[in-house]
Amino acid sequence: MHWLKDTYNWLERRIQLEGPVKDAILHPVPKNTASWWYVFGSAAFTLLLLQVVTGILLAIVYVPSGAEAWSSLQILNHQLPLGWFLRAMHGWGSNFMVAVVLIHMAQVFFFGAYKFPRELTWILGVFMLLMTLGMAFTGQVLRFDQDSYWGLGIGASIASRVPLIGAPLVHIMLGGPIIAGATLTRFFALHVFVIPGMLLAFTGLHVWMVLKLGVNEWPMPGRPVNRKTYIKEYHDLAHNDGIPFVPGAFWKDLVFSGAILAAVAVCAAVFGPYGPTGQPDPTIIQTVPKPDFFFLWLYSVLSYLPANLETPFLLIAPVLGIAVLLALPFYAGEGEKSWHRRPVAVMVLALVAVSWGTLTHLATFTPWSPVMNAWSGATVPAKFVHNLSPTERQGAVVFQSKQCRNCHALGGEGGQRGPALDTVATRLTEDQLIRQVVQGGGNMPAYGTSLSPPEVTALVRFLTTLHPVGQPGATDASRADAETNSPPVKAQAH
Amino acid sequence: MNLRFFSATGFSALALAASLSFISGCDQAPGASRAEVVERPDQITDFKTLYTQNCAGCHGNDGRNGAALALSNPVYQAWVDDATLQRIISQGEPPTQMPAFAQSSGGMLTDAQVDALVKGMRTAWPANGAFNGLTPPASQPSGQSDAAQGQKTYQTACAQCHSKPNQQVTDPTYLALVNNRTLRTLIVTGRPDLGHPDWRGVVNGQVQPGYPLNDQQVGDIIAYLNSLRSDTPGQPYSPHSQQ
Repeated sequence: MHWLKDTYNWLERRIQLEGPVKDAILHPVPKNTASWWYVFGSAAFTLLLLQVVTGILLAIVYVPSGAEAWSSLQILNHQLPLGWFLRAMHGWGSNFMVAVVLIHMAQVFFFGAYKFPRELTWILGVFMLLMTLGMAFTGQVLRFDQDSYWGLGIGASIASRVPLIGAPLVHIMLGGPIIAGATLTRFFALHVFVIPGMLLAFTGLHVWMVLKLGVNEWPMPGRPVNRKTYIKEYHDLAHNDGIPFVPGAFWKDLVFSGAILAAVAVCAAVFGPYGPTGQPDPTIIQTVPKPDFFFLWLYSVLSYLPANLETPFLLIAPVLGIAVLLALPFYAGEGEKSWHRRPVAVMVLALVAVSWGTLTHLATFTPWSPVMNAWSGATVPAKFVHNLSPTERQGAVVFQSKQCRNCHALGGEGGQRGPALDTVATRLTEDQLIRQVVQGGGNMPAYGTSLSPPEVTALVRFLTTLHPVGQPGATDASRADAETNSPPVKAQAH
Repeated sequence: MNLRFFSATGFSALALAASLSFISGCDQAPGASRAEVVERPDQITDFKTLYTQNCAGCHGNDGRNGAALALSNPVYQAWVDDATLQRIISQGEPPTQMPAFAQSSGGMLTDAQVDALVKGMRTAWPANGAFNGLTPPASQPSGQSDAAQGQKTYQTACAQCHSKPNQQVTDPTYLALVNNRTLRTLIVTGRPDLGHPDWRGVVNGQVQPGYPLNDQQVGDIIAYLNSLRSDTPGQPYSPHSQQ
């Protein structure tokens, strides 16, 4: 085997990498950083490498042209052996990467790791997060299907709202006034060359600084960061109570990265690739486009915002958010790192996480939006159809054909814009139902002008049957009284 | 018994089986089947998909137990011809709630899709021998009909059920939402899914008095029901409470 050693020595004499590499892998780190909490950064890096490898393989087949992109994805899905798995790995890899990057960022914030002297590492990380989201968005565009088409349309209309330069901005983004072939080649260049190139360069610098400045020590309450003393304190900690980075801390990174890759593979194998959904053709109106999961929160926010707040929110909130993230290490560059002594930071993190989760969850079932095909596709549950009078049954037909179902659920199916009507008869009397249908109110339009009197009557008769078996419907006591007692006859004056 | 031998061979057999099933199952992983091609909505001609998306809401899953007519009723399938189905799906059936589905009438379905629905119904819900050798009343009205005679027929053939409070078909609100073709279709083909008899009048295995109805009788009953139509249907309160 001496020829192997000779070759190595020949190369090493010229490259001279052995020293720096040894320094990097054997440098001492504080013992308590060899923790399962410190594995997310390396996992994000592993996922980036996975995305690069699967991305290169996809680029061999993918055609970045408006006419052929969609069908080239079909070829990957259906004609190439395991092509679907490759697409699924890239798609799920992207989901995991966004998630792991966000967790990494939350952990760094939670552990106060952005404080002196690691301010620039944090700032680079903020830009890397933006690039990761940029990769996610441009990748969603390259999967040129209906979601992608309309998502891009929304992206363009957001850009168009920028004062003064909105129109030229859209023109640059789309390569013209509309989404066309030039759009896709632009996004291909962004997704394949521009953003990944920058992301890799930033990653290199980010990792370099981690090696040079050392892994952030485990935060201890009562050990605040002080610019004058921190470097010495950290040096003492790493050298007196430290272990070499490899293998002391590194094996946990390796295990976690392997587990993440395995999780991506399992998700890819079980859940399959993302779409493509229907063809990106604006003449197809039977579509309910939705963004991929990392932008679902924005979809919810925009649905709930009043129209006049949309532009301020879209243009001001991101700028403020990024500015806050960038300013953070300068505003709070010293002081306590431990979460025991940083209640505001903990609450901010919890608030952001809960808001993000809630908005994402809401976007999965869009309670604000009618289900436009519920009237023709969701059946009236059979238990509500049997034992109806002919008029009531016609009312059920009116209920379907006038598309009440698109906003009102029955039997768990239908829109959630309005209340579910399974037990509406226990809440409203016949008169109240008529009034509600005819005049609307409480977010419901008035249907008095679009329904004929027999339609309203039949519909309301049907609605009055919607109550549980043992529970009678609501009734107006005075009406029964008026039916049975004739009004008192006035005594005739003599 | 050599347990060690069994466990060793058992383990290798298990490992071999697992790796074989993994290799052979590569393209059958659950994820592979999720990569389906999404057709253009106007290219879909699969009956089940079209029926579920366009018809099931009113006519029920599998053509029964819906609010509107039971399309899977074999008597209906035997009685109605292709051209009528085609016309009703394409152009709707005003003034009933049946909307027009053809693009030529403002709907979303192509002519090929309407054809696929008609053909699909014929295949999914065959009508073999639904008439049991009897001849049903015609699908189109013929000759003169007589409302007075229809009232008499109604009293003998229909009133025993339809005079019950929950079975009123003489309600002007109901009559305003159906037309003569709906009435004829319901009288002749019934709603077997809801237990309502067809023109043969068989309830619980017994032919009811006055049945089966002939063509003239059906026309007369419809004429009688038409005579009950109101100029101002759908008033929710009885005249008494309006005083």
